[in-house]
Amino acid sequence: MIRRDFSERDIHMALDGELPTDERAAYDSWLDANPEMKARSARFTADREALRSAFAGVLDEPVPARLRKVVLGEAPVRAAVPRSRWWLAAAAAVLLATGGFGGYFAGIDGIGQEDPAEDRLAEQAIAAHVIYAAEKRHAVEVPASDKDHLQTWLSNRVGLKLVAPDLTANGFQLVGGRLLPAGEAKAAMLLYEDDKGERISLFVTAESAENAKGTYASAQDGPQAVYWLDKGYGCAVVGSLPREQLAVVAKSAYGQLLAGLAS
Amino acid sequence: MDEKKAAILGEIPRLRRYARSLLRDRDSADDLVQDCLERALMRLDNWQTGESPRRWLFTIMHHLFIDQMRKVNRRGEAAMLPLEAGEAVAKPAEQLEGIASREIIDALQAISPDRRAALVMVAIEGFSYAEAANILGVPAGTLMSRIARGREELRGLLDDTARRRAIRIVEK
Repeated sequence: MIRRDFSERDIHMALDGELPTDERAAYDSWLDANPEMKARSARFTADREALRSAFAGVLDEPVPARLRKVVLGEAPVRAAVPRSRWWLAAAAAVLLATGGFGGYFAGIDGIGQEDPAEDRLAEQAIAAHVIYAAEKRHAVEVPASDKDHLQTWLSNRVGLKLVAPDLTANGFQLVGGRLLPAGEAKAAMLLYEDDKGERISLFVTAESAENAKGTYASAQDGPQAVYWLDKGYGCAVVGSLPREQLAVVAKSAYGQLLAGLAS
Repeated sequence: MDEKKAAILGEIPRLRRYARSLLRDRDSADDLVQDCLERALMRLDNWQTGESPRRWLFTIMHHLFIDQMRKVNRRGEAAMLPLEAGEAVAKPAEQLEGIASREIIDALQAISPDRRAALVMVAIEGFSYAEAANILGVPAGTLMSRIARGREELRGLLDDTARRRAIRIVEK
């Protein structure tokens, strides 16, 4: 039996079938003598099995016709310009890998198919919007005229450094804000209004462990929520604006919120 | 059908699996496979006799993937994708994914593309270190450290998920 010092590196090699056969027995006794390493090896082995089974089904899927056609020459061969869709998925993957803004892998639009956490955030945000945006005199607890206090108060309560985004470029002025329950946590609601009286609201909570992003509507003609969730915070922008317009405002609001959180 | 094309057809399921583990979304993954197949067919002559079709195709696909990732990184567009784009990207998670699968797939997507590719190549696709290093175009040492770091990162993310779940249960 070959005697040599083993290290964590050997755990990977053993797992990947790269450990020379004649070292296997010595490696096994080293594992037995090092419970911590043995536990590590067991975790990595379990993870590998989980990875394999997570993707095992792909091999059994029928090959999409479009792929067969490419090979069989039934589809015109184009210059290989990357398709936009996977390009975007690649971009999203970079975002995730670099700790960017939330995940793109969760569902969008498919109501009832997504993670409940996202639905919950969107539903709470929409419910709050439906109730308070309709209030003329009691829409907010702290008015925009007291903005500094509003920001400090909500930041303290929610547990995030909140800066009310400036949406004047999008035609919206801050009306004020209020504190709301969000499940077992607290949420800040910031209400905005344009010169026609159209209102949108921002709903921000510190309770989120998900990475997700999407749009959500609870009813056909009801307001829509555009939301982002990331580790440690969730944000939804709700309004009845045309979808593209809401998306633009939401993007601006979210960018400023994030900058505020990081400041 | 000539032999080369038959051999390529036979590799499609594996290519799809690799693409899926890199990109997760089914349509995006198939788009990547399609790009790969198109490029492969244009370069059929580059495929040397005796070379494994699998290795040849995986190399082509990996280059497509990594080139694109680099471009995306360089452009610095990471800050925020337009919502419309996000919508094109995100598809409801595969309906049959169990919770455990979903967690590990999420975690896999969250590690760096280089590490993800290295880990998947060896742990799922079953390539040897030498083969994988060759396909990815990196020295064996680099491949090994990517695999080791990838595994640790993946485990760390799964531990985080489990911890958060535990906290939620405790809080209830």
